[in-house]
Amino acid sequence: MAAAGESDNGSEVSPTAAGAGAAAVAAVASPVKAKARALMELETTSASAASESSEARVVDDGNIQEAESSLREGLSLNYEEARALLGRLEYQRGNVEAALRVFDGIDLQAAIQRFQPSLSEKPPSKRSNKLRSDSSNSGSQHAASLVLEAIYLKSMSLQKLGKAVEAAQQCRSVLDAVESIFQRGIPDVMVEQKLQETVSKSVELLPELWKQAGAYQEALASYRRALLSQWNLDDECCTRIQKRFAVFLLYGGVEASPPSLASQTEGSYVPKNNLEEAILLLMIILKKWYLGKTHWDPSVMEHLTFALSLCGQTSVLAKHLEEVLPGIYPRTERWYSLALCNYAASHNEAALNLLRKLLNKNESPGDIMALLLAAKLCSSNYSLASEGVEYARRAVTNADSSDGHLKSAALHFLGSCLAKKSRIASSDHQRSLLQTEALKSLNESFSLDRHNPDVIYDMGIEYAEQRNMHAALKCAKEYIDATGGSVSKGWRLLSLVLSAQQRYSEAEVVTDAALDETAKWEQGPLLRMRAKLKVAQSLPMEAVEAYRTLLALVQAQRKAYGTIKNGTEEDDDKVSEFEVWQGLASLYASLSYWRDAEICLQKAKALKSFSATTLHAEGYTREVREQTQDALAAYFNAVSTELEHVPSKVSIGALLSKQGPRYLPVARSFLSDALKLEPTNRMAWFYLGKVHKHDGRLADAADCFQAASMLEESDPIESFRSL
Amino acid sequence: MTSDASPQSIQSAKAAVESLAAVLGGGALPDTLASGDDPAAALLHDGGVARAVVGRLRGAGSGVGNDGLCRWLYDAFQSNLPELQLAVLRFVPALAGVYMSRAVSRKQLAGFEAVLLALYAHAAAQRGAGEPETVALPNLANPSVYHDAKVPPKTKAAELDVAVLSPALEPHGTMRATRRARIVGAVLELYHGKLALMPISSKLDFCEFCVAWAGNRSKLDDKPRIAAPASSEPDGGGAAAATEEKWRRVPLPWELFQPAMRIVAHCLLGPTGSDELKAQAARAAECLYWRAAETMDARALLATRSLVRLSQMMEEPIPEPSFSGGVENMAELEAMRANILSTKN
Repeated sequence: MAAAGESDNGSEVSPTAAGAGAAAVAAVASPVKAKARALMELETTSASAASESSEARVVDDGNIQEAESSLREGLSLNYEEARALLGRLEYQRGNVEAALRVFDGIDLQAAIQRFQPSLSEKPPSKRSNKLRSDSSNSGSQHAASLVLEAIYLKSMSLQKLGKAVEAAQQCRSVLDAVESIFQRGIPDVMVEQKLQETVSKSVELLPELWKQAGAYQEALASYRRALLSQWNLDDECCTRIQKRFAVFLLYGGVEASPPSLASQTEGSYVPKNNLEEAILLLMIILKKWYLGKTHWDPSVMEHLTFALSLCGQTSVLAKHLEEVLPGIYPRTERWYSLALCNYAASHNEAALNLLRKLLNKNESPGDIMALLLAAKLCSSNYSLASEGVEYARRAVTNADSSDGHLKSAALHFLGSCLAKKSRIASSDHQRSLLQTEALKSLNESFSLDRHNPDVIYDMGIEYAEQRNMHAALKCAKEYIDATGGSVSKGWRLLSLVLSAQQRYSEAEVVTDAALDETAKWEQGPLLRMRAKLKVAQSLPMEAVEAYRTLLALVQAQRKAYGTIKNGTEEDDDKVSEFEVWQGLASLYASLSYWRDAEICLQKAKALKSFSATTLHAEGYTREVREQTQDALAAYFNAVSTELEHVPSKVSIGALLSKQGPRYLPVARSFLSDALKLEPTNRMAWFYLGKVHKHDGRLADAADCFQAASMLEESDPIESFRSL
Repeated sequence: MTSDASPQSIQSAKAAVESLAAVLGGGALPDTLASGDDPAAALLHDGGVARAVVGRLRGAGSGVGNDGLCRWLYDAFQSNLPELQLAVLRFVPALAGVYMSRAVSRKQLAGFEAVLLALYAHAAAQRGAGEPETVALPNLANPSVYHDAKVPPKTKAAELDVAVLSPALEPHGTMRATRRARIVGAVLELYHGKLALMPISSKLDFCEFCVAWAGNRSKLDDKPRIAAPASSEPDGGGAAAATEEKWRRVPLPWELFQPAMRIVAHCLLGPTGSDELKAQAARAAECLYWRAAETMDARALLATRSLVRLSQMMEEPIPEPSFSGGVENMAELEAMRANILSTKN
């Protein structure tokens, strides 16, 4: 045992020293030389054999024993070391099976027993001892290194032969051995480079072997062991392990228990599940890169992108993308990615600004994906619709060369932008031009890709807006077919179109069918529609009943979710309690149940103090009771609360038109104003006709009345824009 | 379909195999299956069983209210034997795939729905009522087991962003059309949790349906889909319909898109070791990307774009042992050999 240590001490002698010693006759005097010679013999014999046919060459056990004994004989090499050296040579030559046979003879446990006392009892803090312990240390370290490397190579050999489980067991035994030798963790200094290398490689290898063996829980445990124990790994190696672990956590399909460690200090972040742990690791890797500790690995950012998009945290992702140092991504790509992040996080303005930069003529004005995104973004906002049309047009031209799929999408967004633009057009002529163009684009889009139900839906809405109810009905039906009735707004569109055709009972059937396909919690808009359908059919008692059901639902929802909105659910599909009281108030008012109407209005007011709709309803109750001044005041308040409140403008116009010829011009201007905002408002046309009649312009009056009557035949119970 | 309606509930894996054999008819299953050591594992991994069951699920007329196979799946899952439940989950791709494609055409599929609702109820119970699955995003200002924060937190840890990965699962007793995507999505989440235990053929099924669901071809393959897998073999009862049904494109709201994408990501980047699966998954990821591009759904685009990019990156190999130290030794040895030779002379 001691001899082994000493002999290895000798190996520290530099080559020049060995050279000087060569003058001495006895080669055996230096154990190093003896060892070297034995090695060399081996080298020459095997090399010559290898040169003949390396793959066919087989070392039989007899040969190994012979070589081994020649190594041991007269030398101070022990059994394990000799085998380790031999095996390494075989491995190096690619004779994996032969190497394995050599390694098989190594008894790791016995070897560890020998190394243990000399290494682990060393007191790391006492400086006075350091030098001496170092020198005695390095010898046994060298021996340990040799044997551990052998086991590591054995593991690699097994892996190459497809025996992943055995390979993993061997590899684990290397780590166990290292842990039992260095009970206090591997110190930064004082460890031989070769030993450290073996340790690092084994640490990195073990989880991969378990993964190959399909033992995912072991893989998980060995990843954590690799990252949480003191192996003195260098940054690159540690980063590689962290990345592989993150990938494993993200995509492994294993339900991992979170790391439960006593060592966790207060205030520290404790990942609770796979995704959290993976995100943490990826962020740490990125941070290391920012600090210049590792090289850039593009896949890290892609994994993080995937993980964060999965849980919708794209604004966090945007921060990380912004932190990436220049020179990694081309700036246009970075802008596009950031725009996607911002758009997904509903920061539309920021997204659009990025896209504007990107689509500038000096950057990439023809980038199809960016154009599509910009067009889509603009299509949701009236004031951006014109800009969106430009982007969409460019997208259509640029998509020409690629394929129909993207071109269809571009045409779809073009149609949506044109439709949005038409809503705020300043003249009738312009509006009808835009509307025609919008429909043309949508139709073209549909002809290129008949499978996209969203195009059909938007077409339906556009037809309905243009009061082409027949075509709108067809689209609504097709949309429901294409989505299998799984989208609520499809049902609502169909029902509204039917109501516009005055087919109320059919609309009710559709609404009931939709209610059947909708979970309780999401029935709000449909129940509201049902109530309005009852009103339209002059069935007040049933309408009240419908409103009562709706009210119960809305109040239950409020209780369940609390007063604070939780951000998980989109609020588009929810009916507010305010709306219900509002609806009931106008219902009671129309029945002249003033007290009830008043109560409902009070309830509505309590929920929302300054609302144009409430004020308008209040005005209406006053108007019906002939309190003209109060009514007018309420209407004006409504208009000043919401400048574009069409119903109030119409009511003001109507009320004023009854006040005598003096007020006719004012009435007319209010009504025209309302019609500019909502050209399909039949009541506005009707009262405008009256104004013309009072003024003696009979032809104009006739036109207006005709418009009003035509619109009445196609008036939905709710505006199509509410969808 | 409820459990008490079934003739007898399944008590053991062996009984499950026997009743499956009865459902599939003579000769569909190897006789050795029930007598094996571990019939549940055989149900999960046996290729013959998988072909027979998947073939039947894909066959014409499957999934109706009185479909014996659906009843078997339902009973086997309700047995509450974990290993049998795994065997049922193995068929989730075919089940969900066929169901979603046919449900768009508004066919009556009470059999499929009963199984899916049972799986959904299980997922909901596992999660706990009204509990969403959340992710607390790490803030590197707080230390963690894997890193030290530079500044020790003074009093309280920095605020964490909490994201919802999967919203709460509300109880659903029936399959309503507007909740269909959510229910199937939650079932896919359940499947996702057990992915590591699923055989590769099951995952291949899923990728195939994912491509069909997305409804547009990958730009990579110009040639039509490679013809029907094993399903057209004459073992299934519905094999009379030799022509493969064309699986319809389905609406993919985020609640369905997200879990589907996670499964594809596993097939693509997980430790499955199958190149065929990786290739299929890469195709599915690409199809999902183009589907997302149709509506420019930003988060779907970001996630699928990353998947497509990752599928094109090379996997970093495990480092080989280096013998640089050995080479140095060689030089040393070389020098000594010269010495020895010279002394011999």
